[in-house]
Amino acid sequence: MMTGRDACEVSIDSENEMISVRKVIRNVATEMGFGVTDVTRIVTAASELTRNIFLYASSGTMIWRTCEVNGNTGIELIFEDHGPGIADIEEAMQAGFTTGGGLGLGLPGTKRLMDDMEIKSQKGEGTVITIRKYLRRC
Amino acid sequence: MIAKNTSVIKIYNTLLVTVPADPDDNTITELQEHVLESMEKCVAKGVILDISMVETLDSFFARTITETIQMVAVMGGDTVIAGMRPSVAITAIQLGLNLGNVRTALNVELALDMVADFRPGGQK
Ligand SMILES: Nc1ncnc2c1ncn2[C@@H]1O[C@H](COP(=O)(O)OP(=O)(O)OP(=O)(O)O)[C@@H](O)[C@H]1O
Ligand SMILES: [Mg+2]
Repeated sequence: MMTGRDACEVSIDSENEMISVRKVIRNVATEMGFGVTDVTRIVTAASELTRNIFLYASSGTMIWRTCEVNGNTGIELIFEDHGPGIADIEEAMQAGFTTGGGLGLGLPGTKRLMDDMEIKSQKGEGTVITIRKYLRRC
Repeated sequence: MIAKNTSVIKIYNTLLVTVPADPDDNTITELQEHVLESMEKCVAKGVILDISMVETLDSFFARTITETIQMVAVMGGDTVIAGMRPSVAITAIQLGLNLGNVRTALNVELALDMVADFRPGGQK
């Protein structure tokens, strides 16, 4: 569903969206001028957060848009769900913490791959995770 | 069942598994089963996982690969991961994936050299 030229929303309600999210983000980031390593970082982070949505919240959305922060152009991805929320964000950000039998790397790894990461979550309400990567930095 | 784009061929006593560019979770899970079944069917001694087409290696993919390597080992086989792209290697390490005890090779040819060493008789 397009919401403009420099923004787009993708709904996530099954594993099948992993592929579309990765494709969309790969194309957008490449077109914006990110190098192949940064594109891989961004797509991998998006893959982690998309999987978390269908694993823990079963459905949600991803919005991408271009952003401008302190004169730096970048890509911003917002992952939103109305699932159970994350009770303890600090705990969830620790490498190895998992309630889903995973490696517990998705959230801490995403933080390392991106330039910015913000998590807002309310138990019982849902989770919004915003990540950004800028063109200037490497 | 195996998704399209995944090929498993036998070279001598080694299985060469070519992982498609952007496999979804089902494809990765099917690939694991397919590799293990082929191990038995082909009486293979080793597996080369060619990931040179793979552009995204996330935590699920990594976990399944690591698991597959352990399962192949239990069946008496050795696995070599071949052809990881530089961008994928950088991302995997920054994500925090522990691929430290996974045998890797720059490409399939070098991987074949490694696996060939394990052949009975040791002939190359
Ligand atoms: N969208 C979400 N809604 C609710 N809980 C979440 C959400 N995303 C993550 N969590 C919680 O945070 C934990 C850590 O997530 P993270 O992605 O780091 O690891 P994982 O998903 O358990 O394993 P991995 O991503 O390595 O396969 C999860 O196990 C889950 O409890
Ligand atoms: Mg995760």
